[in-house]
Amino acid sequence: MIWEVFRQEEPGDYHQHVGNVHAPDREMAKQFAQIQHARRMQTNSLWVVPQSEIGEVTAEEASFGGETDKSYRWAMTYNDIDASFAEEVAESEEEQREAAEKRTEVNS
Amino acid sequence: MDIETVEQRAGPRQFGPSDELPEEYRRAATRMIQFHANSEVMGGYLDKEFTRHAPSLDRKLANTAKVQDEIGHAQLLYRAAETLGVKTREEMLDELANGEGKFLNCFHYPVDSWYEAPMIDFFVDGGAMRRQATLKRTSWTPYAHAMDKICFEEGFHVKHGESILRELMTSSKAVQERVQETFEEWWPRILQFFGPTNDESHHDEFAQRVGLKTVSNDELRNSFLNMYVPKAEKYGLEIPEYPRIFERDDGTMAVREEDLDWEEFWTIAKNDYEGSHEQIGSRRRRQEAVEWVRQAMDSWDTTAESAPQAAD
Ligand SMILES: [Fe+2]
Ligand SMILES: [Fe+2]
Repeated sequence: MIWEVFRQEEPGDYHQHVGNVHAPDREMAKQFAQIQHARRMQTNSLWVVPQSEIGEVTAEEASFGGETDKSYRWAMTYNDIDASFAEEVAESEEEQREAAEKRTEVNS
Repeated sequence: MDIETVEQRAGPRQFGPSDELPEEYRRAATRMIQFHANSEVMGGYLDKEFTRHAPSLDRKLANTAKVQDEIGHAQLLYRAAETLGVKTREEMLDELANGEGKFLNCFHYPVDSWYEAPMIDFFVDGGAMRRQATLKRTSWTPYAHAMDKICFEEGFHVKHGESILRELMTSSKAVQERVQETFEEWWPRILQFFGPTNDESHHDEFAQRVGLKTVSNDELRNSFLNMYVPKAEKYGLEIPEYPRIFERDDGTMAVREEDLDWEEFWTIAKNDYEGSHEQIGSRRRRQEAVEWVRQAMDSWDTTAESAPQAAD
């Protein structure tokens, strides 16, 4: 049986997928995950999840975010407005800009 | 873990579902996150009203996207609240429908004109964004994670809200006057958004000690005034004489609390204001009206040939 492994480096971090292990049951999966993924890497917590329990949808079958122009839902669209007056608004816009750039890079 | 240990360890993203936390912490966190989640729902319901008032297709589209975001924020937050093990999502939604669930004061006032859109979308979302940014450092990790995603999206709401205000305040004199009138009606409510400053409630003090809340209401309102008063003025809005705003010795701004209607505020806090009944009631009726959709979802035939489409 294959178990997907998610590692959290520090308390408060997200658990991130780091790979998978072969194991007959949950207990063994936790053991193997520790050995393979937490021996050297800083680790606060590990999750193991049976691979068969994971549902997947890919860019081939779905068009994430839709196909029509949805620029109205991005902060950058309102470029006559200066977000710098509030750092949290500016930060949000910056995160959106990065996300949008990544999207166009991948799609082009 | 006992309360003393919680207080000692309290810090950003310190605790999560795998920690054994005292009842008092879990209850306080549930109260706070449930209130936040309820406010996202009620804010979304209020905001959807603007879609039909919006003057252009672009504005309508942006407005529906915003409403969709807010309802999504509620979903994230109910999940974060549920992880505390005090109440289920179902229980929290029931409480909201039957009038027990509490939510932000500004969402107890029904809206019916486009002039009100910037009051909510710029000032209220702006105030909420101030608060939410500080909650990225809350001690309950699932709450902080929800904040990461919510803050990512909110920049669009605030900028779009400001864009509406700008558009209205650069059109005809008559429109500008209507916006000013609307602003005068909303301004005191917006100032009350952060709650009373002087007597920070017992809840708040505990929430700060255990790191659930990182900034006081007073500080939040101050920084809000420092940022948003100049914005209002920039677009030609006149700040009403009352409630009086004054500058403190350190140059920060504050409001004379005695100028605000706290009786109305506390009636609202009990869901007992006229508007509360109207907003809670209209949401409940709408929920009932779409009961058939939920039923259809429950009895979804997984063997159906067509795959469900995500609402993108
Ligand atoms: Fe929101
Ligand atoms: Fe928002």
